[in-house]
Amino acid sequence: MIRTASFAALLLALFCTAANAAEPDTQEQVQSDVSTREIAIESNFTGIEILIFGSIDFSDEQTPAEASYGVITVVRGPTEPVAVTRKHRIGGIWVNGPGKSFATAPGFYAVLSSRPFRSIASDDTLRQLGIGLANVDFGRYTRGHHADDAYRAALVRLRTEEGLFQENDGGVSFIGRSLFRANVTLPVNVPIGHYTADVYLFRDGKLVSKNVSGLYVNKVGFERVIYSLAFQHPFLYGLLAVALAVLAGLTGWYAFRRD
Amino acid sequence: MFQVYLPIAELSVNILVMLGLGAAVGFLSGMFGVGGGFLLTPLLMFSGIPPAIAVATGANQIVGTSVSGTLAQWRRGNVDVHMGAVLIVGGVAGALAGVLLLKALQQIGQSGLIISLTYVVFLGVIGTLMLWESLRVIRRTRAGKTVPARSGQHNWIHGLPFKMRFPQSRLYISAIPPLVIGAVVGLLASFLGVGGGFIIVPAMIYLLRMPTNIVIGTAIFQIIFVTAVVTLLHATLNHTLDLLLALILVIGGVIGGQFGVRAGHRFRGEQLRAMLAVVVLAVALRLLFDLVVEPVELYSIIPLTGV
Repeated sequence: MIRTASFAALLLALFCTAANAAEPDTQEQVQSDVSTREIAIESNFTGIEILIFGSIDFSDEQTPAEASYGVITVVRGPTEPVAVTRKHRIGGIWVNGPGKSFATAPGFYAVLSSRPFRSIASDDTLRQLGIGLANVDFGRYTRGHHADDAYRAALVRLRTEEGLFQENDGGVSFIGRSLFRANVTLPVNVPIGHYTADVYLFRDGKLVSKNVSGLYVNKVGFERVIYSLAFQHPFLYGLLAVALAVLAGLTGWYAFRRD
Repeated sequence: MFQVYLPIAELSVNILVMLGLGAAVGFLSGMFGVGGGFLLTPLLMFSGIPPAIAVATGANQIVGTSVSGTLAQWRRGNVDVHMGAVLIVGGVAGALAGVLLLKALQQIGQSGLIISLTYVVFLGVIGTLMLWESLRVIRRTRAGKTVPARSGQHNWIHGLPFKMRFPQSRLYISAIPPLVIGAVVGLLASFLGVGGGFIIVPAMIYLLRMPTNIVIGTAIFQIIFVTAVVTLLHATLNHTLDLLLALILVIGGVIGGQFGVRAGHRFRGEQLRAMLAVVVLAVALRLLFDLVVEPVELYSIIPLTGV
């Protein structure tokens, strides 16, 4: 009887410990934010560098050298359907083949990590979270052969060459034992829309905390006026363009005429 | 420092490069009486502007350079308004047909290829014919022989009905050939993003037998209206017109065009035609080269939004 009671007490104690471990107060948590929440595209826009910063709360690391934590930051831009085509030679000229289309290819995707991200978490975990260019979900293909990975590889390669897809091992750097920062370069051709910056905190290969912040890329001022006019009042926009061209032509003729 | 972000093309270009491009094309436009679109559209594409935006924006730039070019020609009495009006009527009908054709080709994803092939065929044939004809005239003139004046000669065109009087060109011919020529040019204008000068100038010289100086003035006059219609159609249906890029190009083009008109007056008609033929052939060869030589990058990404 006493034995049973003590066993029950032991079980209870074990449960309490387990509950305590799951309690957010004592577990490591990651907090993060981005330096610029609104990115304005004006006529002098040539790309921008944003800073993602954060800290690990309740870090139990004594010195940075322990390096038991791994931080991975993923910045995802708006998705859009795209087709990837390959040229074939037909009758001496190079012609676009039917290719393969992807429903939700991100217009921007960057992975930054505090050390090579494959050493931070297992391939399965990375695949589940969509971390890494090999694991990005491009959505269902709507044409082409599903087994042909060459088109997917080409999409990744072309976007990487444009700076729209990035993998940067060591892009997240620690300042002291709990503060970290990551610089992400958005090139000039970034699509407009809503972006998310996800910060994942791993410990010993396990995801222990995640923080999401958002940013918005939009055209402002003159660029915005032109853009919205072109898409909301296209006929008026066309008339304006013709009128401006005629005006420029008249001005040019008047300025250069010889009397 | 000189980089400027284009709101519709969504990329950053060097403003000086684009001004220079507009000026160079405007110079040729004023000199030869062509819109220069056959040069501007490929040059914009070579600079990294997406083809659809290059076509629409190029058309808008040609409106501006054609206005100042026409005024310069007008003062010299080189514009046949009657002939221009008939060409424009045909041209507007052709432009509408061209936009519909382009939309159909875009749906099967082969618009780029067909545009390039059409460019190569038209520029190649016309460039070769013009070069051959003008060199023959130049050789004969050098040899001291007189070249028989062509105007007044009769061909099959003079047998057609609906005759109209075109006093400026000293012609009394049927309205059907100018209407058909106008329609063909309108079709090509909207389809290729050109003014169509490279078609209409030889057509008026060789088919209608108009005097060369009147041909240039009248061609550039009708190009204003055809490219204005093309600009409106592209802006409304495809949203591919970049106003900022068009403004930069038009400023360069207007300045270049004025110098072009003056440069053109230093040369004889056949010399101008020979020079234009060389430029036309060079563009055709460059486009053919791109079609035939294995591209460095076989893959390309095509956005499907709005399709």
